[in-house]
Amino acid sequence: MEDNTRIGVYICHCGSNIAGTVDVKEVAEFAQGLPSVVVAKDYIYMCSDPGQSMIKEDIKELGLNRIVVASCSPTLHEHTFRRACQDAGLNPYLFEMVNIREHCSWVTEDHDAATEKAKALVNAAVRRVYYHEPLEIREVPVTPSVMVVGGGIAGIQAALEIANSGHKVYLVEREPSIGGHMAQFDKTFPTLDCASCIFTPLLSAVGQHPYIELLTYSEVEEVSGYVGNFKAKIRKKARYVDISKCTGCTDCANVCPVELPAEFELGMAQRKAIYRLFPQAVPSVFSIDKRGYPPCRVACPAGVNAQGYISLISQGKFKEAIEILRETMPFPGVCGRVCTHPCEVDCERGKVDEPVAIRSLKRFMADYELRVGREKTTPVEKTKEDRVAIIGAGPAGLACAYDLIREGYPVTVFGAAPQAGGLLRYGIPEYRMPKEVVDNEISYIEELGVEIKTNTPVKNLEDVFNQGYEAIFLGTGAGISQKMGIPGENASGVIHALDFLRQVNLRVKVELGERVAVIGGGNAAVDAARVAKRLGAKEVSIVYRRSRAEMPAVATEVDEAEQEGVGIHFLAVPVSVLSKDDKLTGIQCIRMELGEPDASGRRRPIPVKGSEFNMDIDNVIIAIGQTVDRAMLPKELEYTSWGTLSVDPVTLKTNIEGVFAGGDVVAGPADIIGAIAAGKEAAISIERYLEGVDLKEGRPTPVKQVKEVPKEGVEIKARSTMPVLELEKRKGFAEVELGFDEKMAIEEAKRCLNCGVCSECLECIKACEPQAINHEMEDEIIEVEVGSIIMATGYDTFDPSVITQYGYGRYDNVVTALQFERMCNASGPTEGEIVLKDGSEPKSVAIIHCVGSRDKNYFEYCSRVCCMYSLKYSHLIKEKTNAEVYQMYLDMRCFGEGYEEFYDRLSGEGVNFIRGKVSEVTDQAISNEEKGKLIVSCEDTLLDAIIRVPVDMVILSTALAPRSDAEDVARLFNISRRADGFFRERHVKLDPVATTTEGVFVVGCAQAPKDIPDTIAQASAAAARVLAMISWGKVEIEAAIAAIDEELCSGCRICNLLCPYNAISFDEEKEVSQINEAQCKGCGVCVAACPSSAIAGKHFTTEQIMAEIEGVLI
Amino acid sequence: MPVLAPLKEVADIIKEAGGEELKLCYQCGLCTGVCPWNTVRSFLVRRIMHQAQLGLVDFEDEDMWLCVTCRACVERCPRSVGILDVMKAMRRGITELGIAKVPDSLRITIKNISGTGNPLGEPPENRANWAKDLDIKEYTEGTEWLYFTGCMASYDPKLQRIPRAIVNLLKKAQVDFGILGNRETCSGESVRKAGDEQLFQTLAQTNIDTFTELGVKKIVTTSPHSYHTFKNEYPELDGNFEVIHYSRLLAELIKEGRLKPTKELNKKVTYHDPCYLGRHNGIYDEPREILHSLPGIELIEMPRSQENSLCCGGGGGGIWMETKKGERFADIRLEEAIETGAGTLAVACPFCMSMFEDSVLSLDKGDIIEIKDIAELIQEVI
Repeated sequence: MEDNTRIGVYICHCGSNIAGTVDVKEVAEFAQGLPSVVVAKDYIYMCSDPGQSMIKEDIKELGLNRIVVASCSPTLHEHTFRRACQDAGLNPYLFEMVNIREHCSWVTEDHDAATEKAKALVNAAVRRVYYHEPLEIREVPVTPSVMVVGGGIAGIQAALEIANSGHKVYLVEREPSIGGHMAQFDKTFPTLDCASCIFTPLLSAVGQHPYIELLTYSEVEEVSGYVGNFKAKIRKKARYVDISKCTGCTDCANVCPVELPAEFELGMAQRKAIYRLFPQAVPSVFSIDKRGYPPCRVACPAGVNAQGYISLISQGKFKEAIEILRETMPFPGVCGRVCTHPCEVDCERGKVDEPVAIRSLKRFMADYELRVGREKTTPVEKTKEDRVAIIGAGPAGLACAYDLIREGYPVTVFGAAPQAGGLLRYGIPEYRMPKEVVDNEISYIEELGVEIKTNTPVKNLEDVFNQGYEAIFLGTGAGISQKMGIPGENASGVIHALDFLRQVNLRVKVELGERVAVIGGGNAAVDAARVAKRLGAKEVSIVYRRSRAEMPAVATEVDEAEQEGVGIHFLAVPVSVLSKDDKLTGIQCIRMELGEPDASGRRRPIPVKGSEFNMDIDNVIIAIGQTVDRAMLPKELEYTSWGTLSVDPVTLKTNIEGVFAGGDVVAGPADIIGAIAAGKEAAISIERYLEGVDLKEGRPTPVKQVKEVPKEGVEIKARSTMPVLELEKRKGFAEVELGFDEKMAIEEAKRCLNCGVCSECLECIKACEPQAINHEMEDEIIEVEVGSIIMATGYDTFDPSVITQYGYGRYDNVVTALQFERMCNASGPTEGEIVLKDGSEPKSVAIIHCVGSRDKNYFEYCSRVCCMYSLKYSHLIKEKTNAEVYQMYLDMRCFGEGYEEFYDRLSGEGVNFIRGKVSEVTDQAISNEEKGKLIVSCEDTLLDAIIRVPVDMVILSTALAPRSDAEDVARLFNISRRADGFFRERHVKLDPVATTTEGVFVVGCAQAPKDIPDTIAQASAAAARVLAMISWGKVEIEAAIAAIDEELCSGCRICNLLCPYNAISFDEEKEVSQINEAQCKGCGVCVAACPSSAIAGKHFTTEQIMAEIEGVLI
Repeated sequence: MPVLAPLKEVADIIKEAGGEELKLCYQCGLCTGVCPWNTVRSFLVRRIMHQAQLGLVDFEDEDMWLCVTCRACVERCPRSVGILDVMKAMRRGITELGIAKVPDSLRITIKNISGTGNPLGEPPENRANWAKDLDIKEYTEGTEWLYFTGCMASYDPKLQRIPRAIVNLLKKAQVDFGILGNRETCSGESVRKAGDEQLFQTLAQTNIDTFTELGVKKIVTTSPHSYHTFKNEYPELDGNFEVIHYSRLLAELIKEGRLKPTKELNKKVTYHDPCYLGRHNGIYDEPREILHSLPGIELIEMPRSQENSLCCGGGGGGIWMETKKGERFADIRLEEAIETGAGTLAVACPFCMSMFEDSVLSLDKGDIIEIKDIAELIQEVI
């Protein structure tokens, strides 16, 4: 404690702001009586020159060594008084400020209470300041480069101003090109000069400026450091186009099959998945819009890129389409017929009306190829030496072989049957799967170089390895039928479905009686029943133990079967086979009822006692399931309790080294696409195995699925139905489903919503001469060091659809201001024509002001530009059409230079002004004049009447809203926002350019809605502030930081992790933590956390804080 | 609350009838604020302008006929809207298209003018009766001035003292002038304001033809209304003449010494600015110069004078229409004149004279104040 402490206390009146409520004289008298206080004075404006002089003189004359000022907020004037102390030779930290305005006079009208509180606060400050210590103000150098975030007019202006002074600017823009909203404008008010004419020269100046590094399609991800010394991590999003090679020729966009609403045109025009915002864009290069895998691709077990081939079908590029499918698997015709199509289940189109007929489109490609003929494929060059054996020539084995041969491995497929194809060939009847389809697809695989050995069953794997094969894939399927386990099952006339179908497919004659019963409800049962019918059986019935809803067979197949005359006995199960002389005569069945759902989710059938009944029949076909034929497999393999092969679920590795398995042999009887997927997965394992790479790492491959698929404006359109063979023609094995023709296919393909946007059809790669396209491109993170940051992130336009009464989104000709802006623009969707949705010219137009603005339900503030752009629109309407224009306004706010004159001019042009907030836009006519019109209704407050104005078009003058991600951005840059959502300036009047964070500035509409002239002025002002910092070369930083007492530090490092500014590191030699003074902001987190009390916050010592608390309390 | 829809066709009619400028109106309401009607009854000029903009005017409303064209509103309109032109255009719409009733008194007056060339329906041959004993020559080619007497001054016995005083003075000053006698016909000024554009065109053309035939170059008028239309409206029909109001001519004559006041009057006088002399044509000084030049006259200004002068209520056809007691501007103005302590209310317009004389009678103020034309006052001192 210093004996010679001499404190001066100064109470400010702040005009009447403080003195009107607080008795300042009384406070001064009170202060005069406090310990160590030498002098206490009050003055009308302490911050004024005479006020400051008073303090300075007292310091010198009375030898004061501590100062307390009780006035306004320290954010406003702490700096002022610290400077005054410094001028008088006193360390600025020997000063303490008390806020008796915001904390006393402005919060109560009670004079006594305000005065008492002011006294308490002054008392606290006097006690605190007693313990203040002189601190050293530190200076740090300023990095002479700047980051400007946002490439609209605000960012561009700021960037150019700074760059023109010869300092480096990083201009970061998240869109593919700069320009922001201004690039969308047509004319600019009030001079009506063309936005492009005044703006494009600036765009190109930025693009060519030697001191501006343009980082488009980029977003700031992380900001660290402090004023003068920021570090920013910027993500340069993958464009999938090499900027340095792209010439902007548009060849790629011309071939791109994917169209979607163009954001730049507010959905009034279409763009391609490969696009640029507008032809004059800077940089004038293309980008590919990839939003992730579409749900169909994700749902497909084999990962087939359905969107890719569908988008090409929609363009009539059928050959290219089938190539996309063959990128993944070789079975267009097979899967196009019998796939269980999980893709269609997840198809987003199904949420609008019905899923796209993906399977039928796939089949269409195969049909098309068969129709026009296919040229022989060139064999793949076998670049690898390790030979792979595939055992089993069904879909799993062939898919595995297909993938491996394309990787360059020599592959041999061993099949037990006379021909390859497995179940595809022998399990599915020809009316569903013509042999030529299977032949074509297997030939394709063979043409690639896969060797297929038929009639070659393999039982001994050792032999295979001995023949020189390095790896084996087992895909032998589940080839034997399950038995029913009931008496008489072995009677002659009882047939198993798989045997039955195999024989039929082998064209072996099968003798059937007149009456046939098929037991089971799966595809094999339905197939068997329909085949039996085709072989001439008179009465064919299916006996199924549950009801139709639980039938696992494809529903359309069941329907077709019924139409063909197959009867179905639901809820019945055979209990014994009746025979005479070991020859089948019939079956006894029992009725079932459905109980609780079982493990499969289907309701469990329970026999109904005493409900037995007999069926007289000649043949029973059993189709109740298939299982793996162990007799055909090597003995050393391990099995699951289900009787299938046991493999690693991810790698499909069996218990034998180098042997992998997949398909029905592992999964049991399942769908073909699952078998193909297993084959593909095994191919990956085999390749890894042969290359000596870890089998599991990174598997299953993570898939980035598209998040949201916009569906607004999608017109309802039913999916195309598959044409089928007429019933009377179904005698033989002619295919029942006939397939789509080209027209149907194109039409159906156009129903695809292109969920992933880019369909990865890769047509752009073929079209791009400079070879600029790279679909494998990845995001890049770069790091920049800058001294200051200018936020120019702009605004969003208010979405008026929430004001349902205005009909936006419901009525075609209700448009937003920005949409109308694009409509007026000669390079916009209508080439500058003002037209209705039907292309005709409007005869009358209403412009509704303040849509979302000046409305506590949405945004309370005035958006400041709407009156003026509304006037501009009126002029453009008058100029381009003969339409009558009505403006429904609340107040006309035309405050800028030349603005009122513009209003006057527009009045002279005959625009009708109606004062009143529009209550409704409706198409409900109450008179003939209103029929077919949009009626805009409001109270005309100048007429004392409700006015209904029938018009053809309504323009909504929508509010300028804060960016939807403003909160995240504020957090990223450590700046604050106002209640209205925009970024907060340091002082609304005195410092509308700086933010609350030193070194970060805000310009343009990111700070508040404003017009172009104000934006330019603010951007230039921010540039001036930044340049001043650079020019001075150094900045003062806070001295009130934390300090570590090395004696007390235990080296626990808790503080290291907690510091939000990464200012604390650990000294390995001394084994203590150290604070980087330049980075410390004095937040105090470490002080509170330190278990050894080794850290003290300078200017916030325990002594100081305790004294202050005592002062308030006593 | 009524439910309305804009009627573009109606708005177009008003615009085409001369109300084009109404589109400039931005509804500030200053017109309503300054309109003298609102001191005696409601007359929402601003709302009528807005109704006109949207074609939603109630043509049946008596408000259509209230405006006395005093120009107080136009004088101050921040957007310089020709409000009177709009009022005129609406009346024209009613008159020409018959979309509503014209008030009886106005209809009869217009019928009179159409038939006899004067609002009172008097025989045209009696037009110059006022001058019978004054030995005034008929205008012939080469005469310097045509003195255009005007209908009210010619026919109304109460007002004939004005032209008589004027010609006496002109004669005294040896001015070379003549009158048209029976060939004079209504100038049409108020007819036009009352909405009968066709009749105005006929009257104006007749006068222009007569003037041209007689080789008239310079015209001096009794009425500021004739003066206004000759000066500002006849040129639309290629009638270009040098026109002067008598007050200006007499002021010049006094200045030139051709009229010499000799007697002393010893009167307290206040002067009422006629709308068509003052606000319509900016003549405020000459009548005052005259009054100042008359010996013994003390000129006391009323609080509302010059551009703020209160209309007598006679313009725009008002002189021909009945106004309810309590709503008469002339009564209010007379009281204002009396307030000044003046015993004489000097006027320079026969319409004002007529209106004030009526007020003096109806308010029974004859013993407190007299109404004098400034020509009469000059005559008294010569």
